Amino acid sequence: MSVNLNCSLSDRNLDISQPSSQRQLAIRVSASTNADSSGAPLNLCLVLDHSGSMGGKPLDTVKKAARELVDQMYYTDRISVVGFDHKASVVVESQTLDRPESVKDKIQSLRATGGTCIDDGIKLALQEISKGKEGAVSQGFVLTDGENEHGDNARCLQFAQLAVEYNMTLHTLGFGDHWNQDILEKIADAGGGTMTYIQSPEQAGEEFRNLLRRVQSVGLTNAYLLLELPANVRLAELKPVAQVAPDAIELTMQNEGNLIAIRLGDLMTDIDRVIIVNLYINHAAVVNQSGSIPVVTAQVRFDNPVMAKSGILSTPVVVEANLVQNFQAQIDPQVQNHILALAKYRQTQLAENKLKQGDRIGAATMLQSAAKTALQMGDEKAATVLQTNATRLQSGTELSEADRKQTRIVSKTVLQAPSNS
Amino acid sequence: MITCPSCSHQNPDGATHCEACYTPLPVITMIDCPSCGASVQSDASFCGHCGFDLTAKTTAAIIQPQQEVSEPLPSPIQVPEPVSAAEPDPFQPVEITPDDLTEIITMPVSTAPTAAASPSSNPKTQLQRITASLLHVQTNVTLELPNNLQVTHLGKPNNLIPPDIDVSGFPDSDIVSRVHADIRFEGDAFYFEDTGSSNGTYINNVPLPAGNRHRLRPGDRISLGKGDKVSFIFQMTE
Repeated sequence: MSVNLNCSLSDRNLDISQPSSQRQLAIRVSASTNADSSGAPLNLCLVLDHSGSMGGKPLDTVKKAARELVDQMYYTDRISVVGFDHKASVVVESQTLDRPESVKDKIQSLRATGGTCIDDGIKLALQEISKGKEGAVSQGFVLTDGENEHGDNARCLQFAQLAVEYNMTLHTLGFGDHWNQDILEKIADAGGGTMTYIQSPEQAGEEFRNLLRRVQSVGLTNAYLLLELPANVRLAELKPVAQVAPDAIELTMQNEGNLIAIRLGDLMTDIDRVIIVNLYINHAAVVNQSGSIPVVTAQVRFDNPVMAKSGILSTPVVVEANLVQNFQAQIDPQVQNHILALAKYRQTQLAENKLKQGDRIGAATMLQSAAKTALQMGDEKAATVLQTNATRLQSGTELSEADRKQTRIVSKTVLQAPSNS
Repeated sequence: MITCPSCSHQNPDGATHCEACYTPLPVITMIDCPSCGASVQSDASFCGHCGFDLTAKTTAAIIQPQQEVSEPLPSPIQVPEPVSAAEPDPFQPVEITPDDLTEIITMPVSTAPTAAASPSSNPKTQLQRITASLLHVQTNVTLELPNNLQVTHLGKPNNLIPPDIDVSGFPDSDIVSRVHADIRFEGDAFYFEDTGSSNGTYINNVPLPAGNRHRLRPGDRISLGKGDKVSFIFQMTE
């Protein structure tokens, strides 16, 4: 199994009469499947909230969804289940899935009681996952419906970062309307996973299936994007790298010698990860004639769980730009769409920050520009949600908890119609 | 430094998309005004500092009005001097004695009739009051400010405060509020004030917050509403 790495600039041509140009580089990364190699087994841990608020229909549907999830897994996969209220306990110890019925019975025995302490749940999950992490794709699904009232959010994030160090991925699922989208998003972003919003109990089964399909398509893990910039190219000063697909995440980077390393996490076989890098190319000093100049050298470093090899390097890709005399903008429409996706996310974030500061008018204006951006990229569903919320703010009404969650989700992803997801 | 119009993030020069919110940034290149050397936007028609017409090619022809504009209000003492210096001959028969001159200096009111009586070819000097005008950039139409008014209302016809300067005839005037702004004449200066318009006012491309006053200088670019669609250049004549 190897890596597909594609790079394209927002505009390949640079105006020779300008001293410098700003360009965005879209990097698409995915795992490529060869016909003969199958994926590594899954090592999944379900972290389920069974606090008192889950009582009744919510917990019943979650248990049902979890049991259906077990049915869809392979016999070679490993599973463990951790339940938490204000303290956490191991419901199903990490085991290969050769006796699915007993696993399902244990899931069924969960009872709704107590408060919510997410960090203890994650801590136990890490222990369970680490029992079977060799040669497997390690994933954790954290489902909760409430605020982390008995726990510490900072501790959650530390565990999420620890999970990444151990090459595990944490996904979060927010159930209902009373969870904290800020902390769940941070856990998912830090844990290299995705955040899902289950608005009504009926959606639990489908969201579980979507998430399972995503983790089953993970081919390579612990991937890092390595960038080497020539002296005349510099990154933007503010948040220069971000992932835009499958969901928008601000990425952090670290320097490794003359390389810039950006952690991507798992690589899927059927879903591209798209990373936008914001660059300034100073071409005044380079050449005074038309021609191509190197902009960046990109490479991916990854682990292959099947072969139990780590630190494999892909073939480097050199991105070049053309210096032209009579410059005319030729914008790559695909890259443009990725940029718009990032713009939508950033504008919504700014709006949310303004709302927190109490600037409702500013927040409404910002949401409106985010809606416009969404419309521009053809994401009509997001545009509708954002515009509705902007109008609501302008008319002086508060946003409900559900509105806020919906806003966060539509800003982060392009919502798929249920039929093709 | 380019400030993002959407989120106010300060972007480095050369940025085309805001680093914070990826809003496309206005591409601004600055050029030096050929007349006064101030840096102005390359797409501007007039220099915001000296009022130099950047669309005109020749510098020489324009320098003269620029001097006129920058010249302070002519004091009564100065009036006779250029006249007598420029045309000494017609004055000789009149025989202005030093006493007469001191009389003129001590009694400024009598200056205007004296100047009018002299066969001067420059009748403009007798005007004591500055008149101002607004040049509409998009159509090149000049609107005189009514010079008997302390406050000139800008806007479109309405029942509350009828505009003294009605912009409803100009293209894109739909972005201008009916009660948009006032120009006040106080002392010897004009002040611009946005009276709570919906789309705001931009002076030299900088937003003017409602309630703030801006002292107008010749050459100031006043844009009513966003997008620089209804814009005026403020001009002063003596």
